[in-house]
Amino acid sequence: MKPILDVDNLTRIHGPGCPACLDVTGPEHDTNICRHCGSVVAVAGASFRLHKGEVLGIMGESGSGKSSLVKMLYFDDKPTSGQATFHDEGHAHDLFSLNEAQQLRLRDTRMGMVYQNPSLGLNFDISAGGNIAERLLMSDELSYRVIREKATALLARTEVPPARMDELPRNFSGGMQQRVQIARALSTGAPLLLLDEVTTGLDLSVQARILDLIMELQEVTGVSMLVVTHDLGVVRHLTTRTIVMKYGRIIESGLTDQILEDPQAAYTQQLVSSAL
Amino acid sequence: MHPVDTMGQTREGAEYGFAFLDEDAKRELRRSIFKAVCIPGHQVPYASREMPIARGFGTGGMQLTLALLGPDDACKVIDQGADDSVNAANIRNFFALTCPGVTGTLRTEEASVIQTRHRIPELPLRADQILVFQVPYPDPLVVVEPNAAKRRRMHGRADYARLWVKLYEDMVAFDEITISHRYPTRINGHYIIDPSPIPRFDVPKLHQADCLYLFGAGREKRIYAVPPHTDAVPITFNDVTFAVENFRDKATGKRHCCRRCGADDSFLDEFLDDDGARVFQCSDAAYCDMRLERLEAAE
Repeated sequence: MKPILDVDNLTRIHGPGCPACLDVTGPEHDTNICRHCGSVVAVAGASFRLHKGEVLGIMGESGSGKSSLVKMLYFDDKPTSGQATFHDEGHAHDLFSLNEAQQLRLRDTRMGMVYQNPSLGLNFDISAGGNIAERLLMSDELSYRVIREKATALLARTEVPPARMDELPRNFSGGMQQRVQIARALSTGAPLLLLDEVTTGLDLSVQARILDLIMELQEVTGVSMLVVTHDLGVVRHLTTRTIVMKYGRIIESGLTDQILEDPQAAYTQQLVSSAL
Repeated sequence: MHPVDTMGQTREGAEYGFAFLDEDAKRELRRSIFKAVCIPGHQVPYASREMPIARGFGTGGMQLTLALLGPDDACKVIDQGADDSVNAANIRNFFALTCPGVTGTLRTEEASVIQTRHRIPELPLRADQILVFQVPYPDPLVVVEPNAAKRRRMHGRADYARLWVKLYEDMVAFDEITISHRYPTRINGHYIIDPSPIPRFDVPKLHQADCLYLFGAGREKRIYAVPPHTDAVPITFNDVTFAVENFRDKATGKRHCCRRCGADDSFLDEFLDDDGARVFQCSDAAYCDMRLERLEAAE
């Protein structure tokens, strides 16, 4: 299997940081706040590999650093140290040594992000179709007819009624906003999709439909996905391999079934057994 | 008139030097103009001075003109195509008062510096003429991004997708692009400018022109330029053509003509005459007068 994303020793420390930060935080110290300088260690030495066409889950409680990790990969935040390599069409992009324009170019055309909160991923002041059009325009599609056709097709695929594509997404239900976000993330045919708590805050039936939609799209397009969630159901449903994080550290990783049925780390055992 | 000499020095007893502004202000303006010409379409920040008119009434254009004028220049001031409106007449009087030797003129072909609000003269401008625009809002991105720091980064990256999204929304709602003035225009393949509130009709005149176009926004403290022989392309989709106002009568399909001079190639103002009938007249008063003179001379 070919890798699409290699993350190597990624660290993000909020605050001044000191040499002791990494030594006095982590699961064994039961904190992610450095007692010497007060910095918050959001992610510490995270390394993993994502293969082409694979769906990798990142699981953990609130504040475990799973969202921070994905934010850095989508250039919403800068890492304190560490590297990530994005393998795309024969090029290996060293993500954090690119300049800002190259980073945004990559993010706008070759990566897709679905946020928990649709207001982060969508522009509520322009229509649903306009949101799709924006991504297409960023990737230099300048034909109105083509943009319109692609937007219509994408929204149809994510089950947004065509009659509503020219309405503002702020008037949509939460589930439909999330589907517009997914359509937007898919619009440029990006090989890498980052999903940050996509079903949190939606009711169960809507959650199930969104998950089905994501599964179906993954099967059709073969897109690689990084799925961040604290929901064991989502992990079980979507992912083949899972990483468990706590206090910014990756404490366990392996096949999803293995982790859910036979968790090794104490925290993972607790997490799995506490599921309703 | 104040007793001032043309070297810019204030003589004993005179309140102001030549062209009202102090020499430091003029130097600042000229430096900014050079920079603006060197980077076509880039908005150059500058130290905008207080002028004896309110900001928003053409202070940016006025400062540019004052920095450009020398005692041998002839100056014309246009407001919406006319030379005799309050704004234009007063600014022209101000130049005559503070720049001894500068002649005010109404004729486009006689002027070396033309300050304008909302129009480009119909008569093609020559290489020895400069057109100065009074600009209310210099940044075309202001409608899509409220954060000024982010806008500057977007300009640097030529990240203008969101301007096209506005066009997309327009096409969806009206099947055509409905921007009537301040049409976003890409200069020299990179920066997109707000060409001040000129009608779409005037936008093609920016492209590969012989003259220098300077834009000054006094309130927003920005100067930018379209140098001579520079590409100026109004933004649009590949399959949607940019069209200027055609002034066709919806019923007959014929183009309206100016009721004074009969011109069928000028930008027309539409209004109701004393009998309530719709009539059209050249917006550029100097052009209209010139045509009338020629017609009378021919008779």
